[in-house]
Amino acid sequence: MIKRIDDWNYYELLNVERTASKEEIWEAYQAALETYRPGSLASYSLVTEEERSLIMERIEEAYRTLREPEKKRDYDMALLRRSFYYSPKASFRKSLGKVEIEEIAPKRSFWRRIRGFFSRRRPGNA
Amino acid sequence: MDSRIWAVGGGKGGTGKSFVSSSLALYLASLERDVLLVDADLGGPNLHTLLGMPNGHPDVGDFLTGRVALLDGAAVETPFRGLRIIRGTANVLFIANLNHYRKLKLLRQIRRLPAQDIILDLGTGSAFNTLDFFLSANSGILVATPEPTAIENSYLFLKSCIMRVLKLYMDHFRIPDLHRKMLEQIEKNSQSLYGFFKSLAESDRSYGTILYRALRNFRPCLVMNKVRDEREAELGKAVADVARKYLLIDLHYLGAVPYDERIHASLKAMQPFLPAHRDSPVAKSVRDIAEELAYSVEFSHRTPPEVRFPGAR
Repeated sequence: MIKRIDDWNYYELLNVERTASKEEIWEAYQAALETYRPGSLASYSLVTEEERSLIMERIEEAYRTLREPEKKRDYDMALLRRSFYYSPKASFRKSLGKVEIEEIAPKRSFWRRIRGFFSRRRPGNA
Repeated sequence: MDSRIWAVGGGKGGTGKSFVSSSLALYLASLERDVLLVDADLGGPNLHTLLGMPNGHPDVGDFLTGRVALLDGAAVETPFRGLRIIRGTANVLFIANLNHYRKLKLLRQIRRLPAQDIILDLGTGSAFNTLDFFLSANSGILVATPEPTAIENSYLFLKSCIMRVLKLYMDHFRIPDLHRKMLEQIEKNSQSLYGFFKSLAESDRSYGTILYRALRNFRPCLVMNKVRDEREAELGKAVADVARKYLLIDLHYLGAVPYDERIHASLKAMQPFLPAHRDSPVAKSVRDIAEELAYSVEFSHRTPPEVRFPGAR
């Protein structure tokens, strides 16, 4: 799928493996800064100023998260959940050879559903 | 015969396309492979000079004018074992402006050439003919140097390739409105390619899927030539990263060729550099690039394996 900069995960942004050490992450962060800094040769003529500031922000955000072991662990767990956890009740859709999960609405309790039913009917009766 | 076609191209002149293609050819021939080098720089052929050979017949012009029936008939032996060359022509003027029929004839014949490795040395620029040769190869190798002009022209070359791929794809699947929209947005409103992709994917998800499908098989390679230090060699990785993020293509960085003053001297002496300097850093880098290239061709048509943890929670 076409990915926007906002959709790249932190590892893809910094070009590192998920198993990368702290030093590797630091090096990747420095390389990413060098690639996207204003006036850099690698992004010359292709990346607009607006796009540049957006990606620099995202790179900072990525490094701030990945350098802290605790934040990194939480982020890894969130990524793992997002990419590989399939709820048994999720509706599946086959697309591009990969299984995508469609968001399903959270289940509402019995009383909330009853209340929802009446609150919907009321404007019609009035 | 199961042959591989490698096209060496690039947006800017003087980056060393002919040097890279001839060096790769010489290296592969030294591995006792059957290699055929084709001078597809129709507007300014000089690959034979790089190999220390005189201009002469038969050449690619003889094939295009019908004097030789098959393209293979235009191939001649070089002084190097295992390497043959199809020279460009100096006799047929304006041959760079190939018409559609002649281009197809040439492309079809290139695919039928009896050799293990066929290396096309392309001309400078983003003319349709050059792009089509680049796109028809198993691997297109883009040669750049670590200078703003070369980087700028490399991105322009890649963008032109992408537009060409998208046009061919849209023509094939009859989606003319999308092609019209693309040209309007990019040419008239001077929107960046990435901006266009982004707005398109946001406006309609199915359009995003079309772009993804059209571009996923376009996997060019990059060689950074004439690098003077480690920092300049690293630039290739950065360019590949930028292309991956902003042009949405998988640009494979093969490696860097160091700058060597002696190359200029060997060019003046009309002797290829590689056979005389087998232990030089340049020769080592060409070896590494050829190995990386073989690896990329091996895996280029495979989609990455899908990782799944069925029981993960």
